[in-house]
Amino acid sequence: MTLSLKQNPTLVMFFDMNSLFSPSNRFSLILIASIVFLLFSFIYATGRGNVAISFQDVFDSIFVCGGLDSALVSGTISDCGVKLVYQKIVWEIRIPRILMAFLTGAGLSIVGAILQSVTRNPLADPYLFGISSGASLGAVLVISSFSGAVIAGTAISITFGALAGGVFSVVLMLFLAGNASMQVDKLLLSGVAVSFMLGAFTSLVVYYSDPDTASSLLFWIMGSFSNSSWSQLPLPAFTLVFCLAIFLIYQKWISAIQAGDEGALTLGVPVSRLRLMMLVLSSILTAVLVSQVGGIGFVGLMIPHICRFIVGNQLYKVLLMCVLVGGSFMVWVDVFARAILNEQVLPIGIVTSAIGSLFFFIILKTK
Amino acid sequence: MLNQSPKLSKTNSDDVFIASNLCWNVGKSSILKNLNFEIKRNKITGVIGPNGAGKSSLLRCLFGKNKISSGSLTFNHKDIDDHSRKELAQNIAVVLQEPPTQFDMDVFELVSLGLIPNLRLLSFPTTQDKQRVILALADVELTDKQHCSFNTLSGGEKQRVMLARAIVQETKILILDEPTNHLDIQHQIDILHLIKNLNITIILSIHDLNIASIFCDELILMDEGKIISQGVCADVLTQDNLKNVFKVHAEIELDSSGQQQKITFDLSKIASKHDSKPETKPHASDVF
Repeated sequence: MTLSLKQNPTLVMFFDMNSLFSPSNRFSLILIASIVFLLFSFIYATGRGNVAISFQDVFDSIFVCGGLDSALVSGTISDCGVKLVYQKIVWEIRIPRILMAFLTGAGLSIVGAILQSVTRNPLADPYLFGISSGASLGAVLVISSFSGAVIAGTAISITFGALAGGVFSVVLMLFLAGNASMQVDKLLLSGVAVSFMLGAFTSLVVYYSDPDTASSLLFWIMGSFSNSSWSQLPLPAFTLVFCLAIFLIYQKWISAIQAGDEGALTLGVPVSRLRLMMLVLSSILTAVLVSQVGGIGFVGLMIPHICRFIVGNQLYKVLLMCVLVGGSFMVWVDVFARAILNEQVLPIGIVTSAIGSLFFFIILKTK
Repeated sequence: MLNQSPKLSKTNSDDVFIASNLCWNVGKSSILKNLNFEIKRNKITGVIGPNGAGKSSLLRCLFGKNKISSGSLTFNHKDIDDHSRKELAQNIAVVLQEPPTQFDMDVFELVSLGLIPNLRLLSFPTTQDKQRVILALADVELTDKQHCSFNTLSGGEKQRVMLARAIVQETKILILDEPTNHLDIQHQIDILHLIKNLNITIILSIHDLNIASIFCDELILMDEGKIISQGVCADVLTQDNLKNVFKVHAEIELDSSGQQQKITFDLSKIASKHDSKPETKPHASDVF
């Protein structure tokens, strides 16, 4: 006797369950779960800090009271029943800071994923190629050229300095690699050399700065979201969306490079040109992020590996997950950096490096 | 097909590739030296020769990886450099000996990469495209491994995955660099049978001379970057050629039809080494 699906409702359910966990549905479920977790992270992080704000007040401030305008009306309690000071904290301090953390985590993670794919090197990240070092040097040069007091007013100059430094590092790396830049391993070696060279210059600038500037430079180099404001968000947000769009458009070609340069060439992929384009885009996104928040390591290295572990190696899946997981991770790192010391914020770079090294120790011991 | 003189005979519309005084240098060293050959459409051309003869370098010139240093190489009667990379990929599929990738991909995903030359950047594979991938995997008998990761496969299975990727490209020309490496004899026969049944132009480098003589329509014998002999198998696989190039003594017999050759090699050198070993090694009773 053969079983027919129509005759057997239990069997229908069994098949439906199977299709529910088919690879494509599994990815959709993971994606939805990650988005829900990200939203939860946003709301939780908004309530945490020196002034604790209840979940209800956070929720009302964001979804009931509306935007920044309602927080600017005079009085102590607005129409929606939330203290105005809470609304101001939520809208003027916490949300820009959390969005900046999200953009930084997402941006550095997708840059790491792309660099790892186009170089087929699991250890590639913005730091290995000297992009971060270049951007840091550019920003540090700009900051040290002005006194500490006018740093806030020179935001665009810092961005420009970091951008110039990031692009300069890529140009220097390609120049030093010369004809060998077609070969991935030589390109990596050249990137490491540039990274150390520019890192040394950054240290030199810090060493010769006056004590006040040196301490603000050091704090900046180690990364912080403390100065984040709404006006700083559009540039990194636009750059992230633009770069992510380009990465997704070229994801098939990048996957081919990931499987081997020569094989990609036989599939019609312009390997060297595409790799160069990805390097330049990665350096621009990294430089924009570094210019806003300083140097934050290990995220670009660690998050892509976690995402590959969760969704496999298909690049578009890895990139989308990097945005969600990297963004959520950085929001939590910021919560941790704010919560661990009383009335003091730990530099973000210290937290990410500590978590990153722990992560790699765990990988080393378990794999 | 092939002409040993530097000046080519009249070009034929059946020739897919025509090389004239083709040279390829790396730095100051000359790897391919003044090669002249024609490769005919819908024929199987084997490139044979000892290790380091320049077989792989020649194949890499044919799909545009190695840019020739001097001379000329035409593909479909147009200089190979005048074809865009995409155009070449739509016409020529290549199976190389890939190094293992650091980032593992599953087999289906890797074979799907063969769709790239015929897909626009922003388009997604259609159901028909996916069907092509499934059929190619069935052709190389790897349907049951389609969700396995590439790095867990054996050398032979990896080779078959790369062949499936080339089949998905649906090109008129297939270039293979030692396709039977890593394969057991059953899979060697199956793969060569499959390749032959594609009925397209095949160019491959191959080490097994017996298989080459049965499988290929024409051969190019290379040594030290030069073409030593080219033509139908019987003209190339001669005792003198094999002795000059491979430095071995070979016996060549023709089968009853007079078409296929059977080559046997003088293996006495290995045998004598093997035999001499016990003599040089002291017996246990001599020591104690």
